[in-house]
Amino acid sequence: MKNRWISGNRWISGISAFILIFSLPFMNWIKVVNLVSLFSRIGVTKEMAGDLLTGYSLYNLLSFVQYANQGVLGLPAMVLLILMAAAIYFNVAFIIRTFMAGRNGRGKGELSYLAAAKCAFLFSFITALATIAFVIFSNIRFKMTGFLPSAVVFIVLAISLAAYIYIKILEKKEREKYREHGLLVELKRNWVLFVMLIPTFIYFMINNYLPMLGVYFAFTSFNFRDGLWSSPFTGFKNFEFLIKADLFRLTKNTVLYNVVFIGIGNVLQIIFAILVSRVTVKWFKKTSQTLMFMPYFVSFVILKVIVYNVFEYQYGLINNIITGFGGDRIDFYNTPSYWPFLITFFYLWKNIGYGMVVYLATIMGIDNEIYEAARVDGANDLQQIWYITLPHIKPTFIILLLYALGSIMKGQFELFYQLIGNNGVLFNATDIFDTYVYRITMTQPLSIGLGTAAGLYQSLFGFLIIVLVNYVVKKRNPEYALF
Amino acid sequence: MKKKVLSMLLSMAMVAGVITGCGSAAQSAADQLEAEGVTEIPQTEATTEATTEEAAPAEAKELDLSEQVDLVFYVMGDAPQDEELVEAALNEKLLEKCNATVDMQFSTWTDFQQKYANEITAQSADLIYIANWLNYGQLASSGAFEELDEMLDSVAPELKATVGDGALNMCKVDGKIYAVPNTWAEYVCNGVKYREDLRAKYDLPVPDSLENLEAYLLGIKENEPNQGLLTVTTEESQGLKTGFDAAWALNFKYSWVANNGLDYGLAANYDTPTDVYDYWYSDDFVDDMKLMKKWADLGFWSKSALSDTNNSDAYKNGLCVAEVAGQNPNKQVTAIADFENAGQGWESAYVAYGETNGIIFPGHATQNGTAIVRGCKNPERALLVLQTLLCDDEVNSILQYGIKGTHYDVVDGIYKNLQEEAGETPTFPYEGFNTWNIRNGETKLPQKTDVALQEMFDKYAVLGEKTKFPNVNIYDGFAENYDSYSAERSAVSNVMRQYLAPLEAGLVDDVDAAVDEFRNKMKEAGIDKCREEYTKQWVAYCEEYDYK
Amino acid sequence: MAKDLDYEPSSPKTIKKSTGTKVFEAIAYILLAIGSLVCVLPFIIIVSGSFTDNSTILIKGYSLLPRDFTFSAYETIFRSPKDILQAYKMTFYYTIVGTGLGLMMITLTGYVISRKEFKYRNTVSFLIYFTSIFGGGMIPWYLMYANVLNLKGSTLAIWFPALMSPFLVILMRTFIVGAVPDAITESAKIDGAGHFTIFFRIVLPVLKPGLATVGLFLALGYWNDWYRSSMFSTNSSTWQLQFYLYDLLNATTAMKQMASNVSMKTADLPTESVKLAMAVVATGPVLLFYPFVQRFFVSGITVGAVKG
Repeated sequence: MKNRWISGNRWISGISAFILIFSLPFMNWIKVVNLVSLFSRIGVTKEMAGDLLTGYSLYNLLSFVQYANQGVLGLPAMVLLILMAAAIYFNVAFIIRTFMAGRNGRGKGELSYLAAAKCAFLFSFITALATIAFVIFSNIRFKMTGFLPSAVVFIVLAISLAAYIYIKILEKKEREKYREHGLLVELKRNWVLFVMLIPTFIYFMINNYLPMLGVYFAFTSFNFRDGLWSSPFTGFKNFEFLIKADLFRLTKNTVLYNVVFIGIGNVLQIIFAILVSRVTVKWFKKTSQTLMFMPYFVSFVILKVIVYNVFEYQYGLINNIITGFGGDRIDFYNTPSYWPFLITFFYLWKNIGYGMVVYLATIMGIDNEIYEAARVDGANDLQQIWYITLPHIKPTFIILLLYALGSIMKGQFELFYQLIGNNGVLFNATDIFDTYVYRITMTQPLSIGLGTAAGLYQSLFGFLIIVLVNYVVKKRNPEYALF
Repeated sequence: MKKKVLSMLLSMAMVAGVITGCGSAAQSAADQLEAEGVTEIPQTEATTEATTEEAAPAEAKELDLSEQVDLVFYVMGDAPQDEELVEAALNEKLLEKCNATVDMQFSTWTDFQQKYANEITAQSADLIYIANWLNYGQLASSGAFEELDEMLDSVAPELKATVGDGALNMCKVDGKIYAVPNTWAEYVCNGVKYREDLRAKYDLPVPDSLENLEAYLLGIKENEPNQGLLTVTTEESQGLKTGFDAAWALNFKYSWVANNGLDYGLAANYDTPTDVYDYWYSDDFVDDMKLMKKWADLGFWSKSALSDTNNSDAYKNGLCVAEVAGQNPNKQVTAIADFENAGQGWESAYVAYGETNGIIFPGHATQNGTAIVRGCKNPERALLVLQTLLCDDEVNSILQYGIKGTHYDVVDGIYKNLQEEAGETPTFPYEGFNTWNIRNGETKLPQKTDVALQEMFDKYAVLGEKTKFPNVNIYDGFAENYDSYSAERSAVSNVMRQYLAPLEAGLVDDVDAAVDEFRNKMKEAGIDKCREEYTKQWVAYCEEYDYK
Repeated sequence: MAKDLDYEPSSPKTIKKSTGTKVFEAIAYILLAIGSLVCVLPFIIIVSGSFTDNSTILIKGYSLLPRDFTFSAYETIFRSPKDILQAYKMTFYYTIVGTGLGLMMITLTGYVISRKEFKYRNTVSFLIYFTSIFGGGMIPWYLMYANVLNLKGSTLAIWFPALMSPFLVILMRTFIVGAVPDAITESAKIDGAGHFTIFFRIVLPVLKPGLATVGLFLALGYWNDWYRSSMFSTNSSTWQLQFYLYDLLNATTAMKQMASNVSMKTADLPTESVKLAMAVVATGPVLLFYPFVQRFFVSGITVGAVKG
């Protein structure tokens, strides 16, 4: 069934198409003027001018930054690029929506349609505005008029603003129809909830979001003379070493280890949590729980020493036992195939008691009456666990799982680094992304860019996976989704 | 309906095309310039501005001391307990002499490389300790420090005279001085530390060559089968020179192994530094690796040695009878003291590799120095304070030894820590602020152990005199710029960990096959590109300093 | 209202244990015993090692019982008891302030993003979760506190950065969703209760296991941390306990390495046994404290009382 309202308002997507055309790569948003005096002011030579253009779109603006060696403009140009990408994404999404609309035209389709339109136009508007701001900023910086926004920018600015206002008016009518509300009404109605979020907002702003600008360092070659924000922009040079590295092997190792850790770890944590919860003797319950918690406090530095003393070839504990029984010594430290198991074992050893707490707390949150009822109905222990405990644990399990998936490319650095160290013989089986990056950055003193680039790769990898998995989970059961 | 929309979109596209189609196509800036008839871009403002500004305060002029300046001096390591007390005494003098105070800040030894870089990035310190092992060269060339050339003349001529042009010259990076070294020459050359008592007991040769080292270790193995021989790890060999510590013993054969020579398996003899040749792809390399395998098979070190990091106390506790990596005269002096304390009749002796291969030199000037962090608000005053700290005996002794009578005393010209004498934990030990960079060779108070150390230094100084560049460390002043090949460089360093280390540890079954694999992996990693660039820079460096 | 009940699910006084239950319990005991043993063995090695002479450890290796019994490792650590007591004091301070404030902020946030009537709950969840994936790295983070906020040397820089974590917020949301059925808050709302009333009177009381879990994780995070002292402390009087010990450890290794570059006196520290003693000193108090938290995990809570 088609949504009639949307069909009637389809023409709005034409504006989006219009904006998209203006966003095509050959459209120049920024013009470079007064070439001679600009170049002489920013130290561009005649040779360098060969790589430069007289006009730039937001896509190739960074090439100006790179070839004219203007690191100062790097971050603003990068922000423009991201804004542009976002604007295009939302505009395309909006157009697609227009043609898909009505396929499942139930409920408040108009509102979400309008929200998509709003997003598209808002981002187009912001992008155009930011372009003008960029021009003003760089001109002030160079103390002369070197850049000008082209006519395209003003056209996009004007039509996106007009379209946005128009949508707002439409939206108001629709909202009244569905008794939906916007941000202001929500603020008024649930202001208490917003107040509750203020400290959280401040915290994440300071601790995470503002420092996040540092992602930009992944694209620069840092030097102290220019400082963090003005160092030369180098494009993807910092990522080269990832390609040089055996990226596939590193990714495979990291992901596989993490999958095993997450999988076995959670299963064992659940099993032990259930065991602890079923045990009746109180002192035993408490003691076993405390004892299993203890490995968490053993630092890897100490673990390394103990492990080495146990697995060493000549004097190691295990080899002493083996020779005691007349067997042959095992050369652990030169045989990679043992280590995946050993590392997994020590990971589990260290984390089971700690991770168990979450499940134990969840089990303790289950209403006892449910068990009572089951018992009266004659359910045995296994049945109680299967039909009551496990279903109650499920949401916690899924959330923990989802959360862990986001960090699937982030390895347990300390564990691997301390147990394996610099033993190259074992690297094929034990080298993960983090240890590799650590070794690389240790040989390069000014490796801010390298480290950030590596982190960005890990983040993007995890992000893609989590968005995908979260989407699937949300489709099946929105209650369990992370966001 | 659909058609209508489509046709509308199309017409819109056309309109848009017409609006922007003309005049927006960007052309090359070079073409544009060509069209305008511009042949040369005047290099005016940006470049000249800087030079004129700097040229202004040329001649020596009296520094304005009317305003008090509070400086931060960032040094390595942990603070002594009496930090505040000594700082107060120091600042009293400094206020009087240069109207400035100094606040010592300490890196602590946790993550110190990282924090050191942070400190410079944040520009919160004024004076800072520098050293080649803290990558002074790379940092300076990247602009981390203030240039000192002119300031030394105008503000601190005394400092310049004390340190001397030769040493200052060695601190030059890209032709500019960025740091002031200390004025105490020390030999941090490497060598083999071994158990003299056992050697004498079994009448073994002094391990002063590869053959003798082998004979010494074998002799001990025969006589005491359960005795550990060498404790070797990968710890001292993390750079781009060697992969496993045992390979340092090859120093007996070549003077350029381990921490002296060139990176990437390149080699250049001390006498002919610009004559760079290849080691990893030579037959010598295969022979040496076979020797390493022989040693490993003889059980000189543990089969698990690649993962062993627990080496620091092995020699001290008699778990091994020789150490071949990272052993300098100072460590020998420490070992003597340790054995004395242990009182088991053990004796430690030391052979510097230079005594066999004939190449020996003191530490480079950038071994211990002081720089002014870029962005320092009063660089001139900071330099004046540095001059006072280093040259003024009164101030220098407070900084280095604390308060006379409370912390230390001088007996027969030898430093004596009063609290240590009394059996207490010293609240301000010798060089308690870790200011090794402010050592003044002229006035430095020797400690008890320094006597033995000085003896060794004197011996080496005589040897060093005979080399081609008498007592000059030609290697450590070189700072590689790997911007253009950093990806290859990191790949190479990784191949070294993965393939060179097992070779040098003798843990491969077939040396020839393993060498082949190592060489192939190196090629894949891009060793040639690194070597080419590196050699070019190295030769240029040698030319600059006239090491020919 | 809810109240703690010492309740054991499988030992109701009215029903006699069946054979199946007995077998099941036996297996549970055996598995837990094995698990505990595996976990505690290395710890015993550590404790006995901390009482063993350093050179004995080096020569003879580790053992389950101390050989050449000595307190020298502890003497090294407690050489200046004033310092270590100060470090204990500061760590308690950071842990209490941080856990208190953090727990409050996390619970409030968890409550907000678990409210169905809050339109932006998914946006907020996403923005919080996003920080666990993307970050600008250590340097901008450091400069934020050290240069922008100028907090270097301040105690604020030590406890503030660890107040919240995306993981704990999301965990808390799960606990709240699990513990408080919508129907309850809905009916409370109809009765005219505001958000704060619902939060304090209805949500908090049934949230004990969740609060205990998140609080425990927060507190452990504070107790085990040394990194922020390393980054931001300019004076040893603000050091965290773990950093005090960790730095002692690093100083020994670093100074030994340093000695190949610089002529300097290296301190004479019994390294191996000190490492082990440090682990004991740092862990001891937590193990003493843990049983107090534990009661939230060993005794059930009846939600039923609230429903009535």
